[in-house]
Parts: sequence; C-alpha cells; structure tokens
Amino acid sequence: MTIQNVRRPALPQSSGNRPSPRARFRRRSAISDLLVVIAWVSGPVAASLYLASGGLADVKDVGSFLTALGIVTGLIGTDFILLMLVLAARVPMIDRAVGHDRAIGLHRQLGKPALYLILGHAVLLLAGYGASSGINPIAEIGPMLTLPDMITAVVGTALLIAVVVTSLVAVRRRFPYEFWHVIHLLSYAAVIFALPHQFSIGGTLAEGTVQRVYWIGLYVLAVGAIVIFRFAVPLFKSWAHDIRVQQVEWIAPDVASIHLTGRDLRALGAAGGEFLIWRFWTAGTWWHSHPISLSAVPTDRRARITVRVLGRGTRRLATVKPGTRVSFAGPYGIFTDAARTSPKLAIVAAGIGITPARALLEGSQLARGEATVLVRSSTDDETFLWSEMRKLAEARGAELFAMVGPRARNSWMSQHDAARGVTLRSVFPDLDRSDLYVCGPQRWAEAVVADARAAGLPEHQIHLESFEL
Amino acid sequence: MRRRAAVASVIASAGVLIAGFQIGSAVTAARTPSTTGTGTTSGGSASNSGNSGNSGNSGNSGGTSSGSTGTTGSSGSGGPAKDGTFTGATEQTPFGPMQVAAVISGGKITDVKVLQKTNQGGRSVQISNQADPMLRSEVLQAQSANVSTIGGATYTSEGYLMSLQAALDQAGFTG
Repeated sequence: MTIQNVRRPALPQSSGNRPSPRARFRRRSAISDLLVVIAWVSGPVAASLYLASGGLADVKDVGSFLTALGIVTGLIGTDFILLMLVLAARVPMIDRAVGHDRAIGLHRQLGKPALYLILGHAVLLLAGYGASSGINPIAEIGPMLTLPDMITAVVGTALLIAVVVTSLVAVRRRFPYEFWHVIHLLSYAAVIFALPHQFSIGGTLAEGTVQRVYWIGLYVLAVGAIVIFRFAVPLFKSWAHDIRVQQVEWIAPDVASIHLTGRDLRALGAAGGEFLIWRFWTAGTWWHSHPISLSAVPTDRRARITVRVLGRGTRRLATVKPGTRVSFAGPYGIFTDAARTSPKLAIVAAGIGITPARALLEGSQLARGEATVLVRSSTDDETFLWSEMRKLAEARGAELFAMVGPRARNSWMSQHDAARGVTLRSVFPDLDRSDLYVCGPQRWAEAVVADARAAGLPEHQIHLESFEL
Repeated sequence: MRRRAAVASVIASAGVLIAGFQIGSAVTAARTPSTTGTGTTSGGSASNSGNSGNSGNSGNSGGTSSGSTGTTGSSGSGGPAKDGTFTGATEQTPFGPMQVAAVISGGKITDVKVLQKTNQGGRSVQISNQADPMLRSEVLQAQSANVSTIGGATYTSEGYLMSLQAALDQAGFTG
C-alpha cells in the first residue's frame, strides 16, 4: 500500500476558517460602542479639564460665573466641531465599525448643537466680561473686539453660521448641491479663523497648561484625520491605481454602467456592496465628485460602476470619453458581507439599488440555500442588471424572486403581490435568522425597513443603503 | 445608540466630571493663601512662593483676620527699612511680564507702582487694570506682600505679589 492513495481529510465546506457572523458582529459592535462612548465623553472631558485647572475658583460673582460658563460652552462647542471633522474625515476604522451613513448622520446631528454652543459662548462671555467691568453686554462688544484675534474669531463664527444654515435640509433644497458643497468647505476656514483667539485670549489654554496640550492634540487629531483620509490617501491611491474610463454602456433609458480599467484593482480591497466617491477629470466634471456603488466586484484590471442619470452632473458623467482619468476616494460602506450577524442572507433591492445588491451577492461566500434575493421594479425598464443577478443567484445557490408592477398604496410591494397577500415573511421564511439587506430609493427602502421592524427583526439584522436620488 | 454605549457614556462622563472637580478643588486649595483667619503663611506657599522674608512677619501677625494686624507688627520685628523706591524683579506670567516698585517711607509701604503689567491679550490688560488697584490697597493695608490673590486674576496677582516681595527684600523691609 502506498501512502499516496490515501485521501487527505476534508476541509470544512465553504466558509472555511472565517469567524462566524455572530463573532464578527460582537467585535464590530464593541468597537462601535467604544467609538460612541469616546465621542460623547469628549465633551465632559473638555469641561472636566477646565474644572481640574481650578476654573471654579475664579467664580466669585455673577460676572465671573457667566465668564466661566461661557468658557465651558466654548470648549464643548469646539469639541463638537472637532468631532464633526473626524466624523466627516471618512476614517477607515469608523467607517468599518459604524458605517459612513451613521458617521455622517451623527455629523449632521452635531451641527446645530455646536453652533448654539459657540453662539452661547459669545453671548455668555459678553455678559460675563460686561458684568465684571460694570457695563451691559451690548456695550461690551466694542471692548471685546479690540482683543487680539477677536476679529478672526467673529469671521469664523459667521462662517460657521453660514455652513450650518445652508446645511439645514429645508434651506439646502433651494440651492444646487455644488453651492452647498462650496459653502461647506468654508467650515475648514471657520475652524482656522477661530483657532488663534482660543490660545491668545483668557488663561484657559495658556502656555504650560495641561489643557493647552490636550487641545493642541485634539486639533492635530481632527485636522490630521481630514488631511490624511480625505486628501492624502485618496490622492495616493488614485495615482497608484491609475483608473481610466474604458467604456460607458447604457443599460436602461437613464442608467449607465461605466467600465473602468486600472492597475491592481483587487488591492483596493473593495468588498461587494461598497461604494467609492468618484471624480472624472474632464472640463465639465472635475469639480464635483459622486458616490457611486460598484456594480461588480473588481478584478485586477477592471471595475464597473453603475449610475442613474438624474441631473446635469450625472448626465455629464455618462458622457465621459474613454480614456478619461478618474480619481476616487474609498471604498466605503458596510453594505457588505462584513456586516453580517446571522446565518442567513436576505436581500431586497429596487431600481439603482440593484448595483450594491448585485456586488454583495457576488462578493459573499455563501452556502447553498443561504441567501434569498427579492428584486423589485415598477416597470420593465427598471429591470437592468437583473439577468446578471439571475446568473449569480444560480451560481451561489440563492433563491431569486422578482416583483414587477406599480407600487401598492402604503406598501413597498407591487399592487399585484400586495393583493395576493405576500409578506416579508412569506418571501423570507427564515427572516428571524437572516440579515436583511435593503437597497433602493430612500422612501421605498424605509418602507421595507419599517415592515421588517414591524415583523420583529432586531435592528442589528437590518442593513440599509438608501439612495437619496 | 445602543443601551450599552449610552450607559457607558453616562457613567464615564460623570466619572470624568467628578475627577475634574476633585482635582480642581485640590489645585485651588493649594493655590489659595490661607492668610485670612489663621494668620500663617504656610498654606500660601504656592502663590506667594514662601519668600523667606515673610516668615518673620507671619509670627507677628497672628490672630485677627486678613493681615490687618501686620501694620502693628511691622515696626517691631524687622530691621530698619530703607526709605525710597525699590524696583521688584520682573515676574513672568502666562500673560506676560509683571513688575512693580514699592515706595517706602518712614518704615512703611506708602505706595506700589506698576511698572510692567501683563499684556498678552487685551483681556489680561483688562484684568490687570482691575486687579492692580485692589492689590495695591490690600498691600498698603496689610503692609506686606502676603495678601490673598484676586479672584479671576490669579496669575496677575501672583506676579504682582512676587515682584513686590522682591522689592521689599531689597529695601530690607520685613514688615
């Protein structure tokens, strides 16, 4: 008997030695919770350092009390602004733990409180200084402006007001996106303008104090995160991968797939379902960037993104010439296999939402019967990429359902299927043991998520990627 | 936000604030001179920097509050102080230099002149302008540099009083 004829022991099928979804979920939620705690505690830390420096000892009367309160509101407001910078910096660790959507969601939530704190800071200090010198707060404005670096601080505050006001949803709708974006870039200027007065006026951040070291550290961290992750890394990656447009392919009346070629694209580590923020270097398009999902998992030389043409910006994208240079930032997002928490996979996609859903299915290691997919469209025009989805589902051993037809009132389903009595549970019998990935137009996707919640699906099993467009 | 993160945030915030408050109280206690009431300077070492010239003074002025007894004690214990104007050392504070001169006449401090005042940032000039006259009147009353600092102007006060002490040392003024 020769040893060669003996078979080696079999490896476990499919997923091999990947950690289970459950274990990965625990790890991810631990990191996510830790980040949340750090974010919220940074405010009290700012106040605490002020207390620790003996700030309360200066409180002797109404004037000094208002001044101390004004200093604390300024510190916490600044902390919030730096937090907003970090959240907008697209730090990979934050993106992987909580997702870009949630990071930006928190960034938006912090905007108004930060502005109110900074305005409160100004008002309280005017009142406090005024009371100490025995004049009213309005009369204190004059002397206050003579303080060094005060003019720049006022300019910084005005910029901050402009940024927050133009970002409020109602106002934002009235401006083109590009206008809002340019105004938003002014927030960097606001931070820089506000910086000098923090270190030159008042003793709070005087040389040799612990607080000075702490705050300089915070600034380095926040600005460093922006510089590295928003500028340096994307620039370097764009240069290294040298991506160009190969071809634009119309796959529906208003949907185009842009085929890209580049160097070593697998090294991007883009998982199926992620998006990148793309910039096409032509005369009409270089000044605006667009978040667009990969509609296929990249190979070494090729990548594909699919975009719906809605406005002038995206229209120009769909007409770029082959050979156009493309820069990018990313990949971002947790609409991926990495966000799984449960043994089964349920995907619901509609419209342009098919793109990440398709890439997700393609990029996932799946056991036969693990995944179930439902694709939805109102008309036959909207069934682009469905044939690819069908082939993938076959190859991955996934079940695929299609739902075509006008939408039923108060439902995310088609009229026909709603009338038949189809439910989320009838499509996904294993719903309770599934991760539900929902991707499509925002209102529709939210309706699916509401339905899932009503069915009792826990929050961590729901994964939403909504397209505002 | 998940409940675990919320609870941890609240607990950590409370802990951080309490720790800050405790440290702040300790720092303040160390910084505040205990001139009032006790009449000793030992507690005030941090701010008035325990200049040796003070120690003789402190023994005399025991008893009543806020150093006013220093006046009576002053003529007795010290050697004869020279008359004249004595310039104190320039003390560096986080807000710039602070320097005063003491005018001594007939063995008594009759005036304190501010030569350089903290000037970094208009706010500290403002503070200095407010604190200096208050310090001057306290010093003239106490006949000593051993008076409490002015709230909200701790650095300015410390610079003022240390510079004054140097001037008094030069004059051989021991209170």
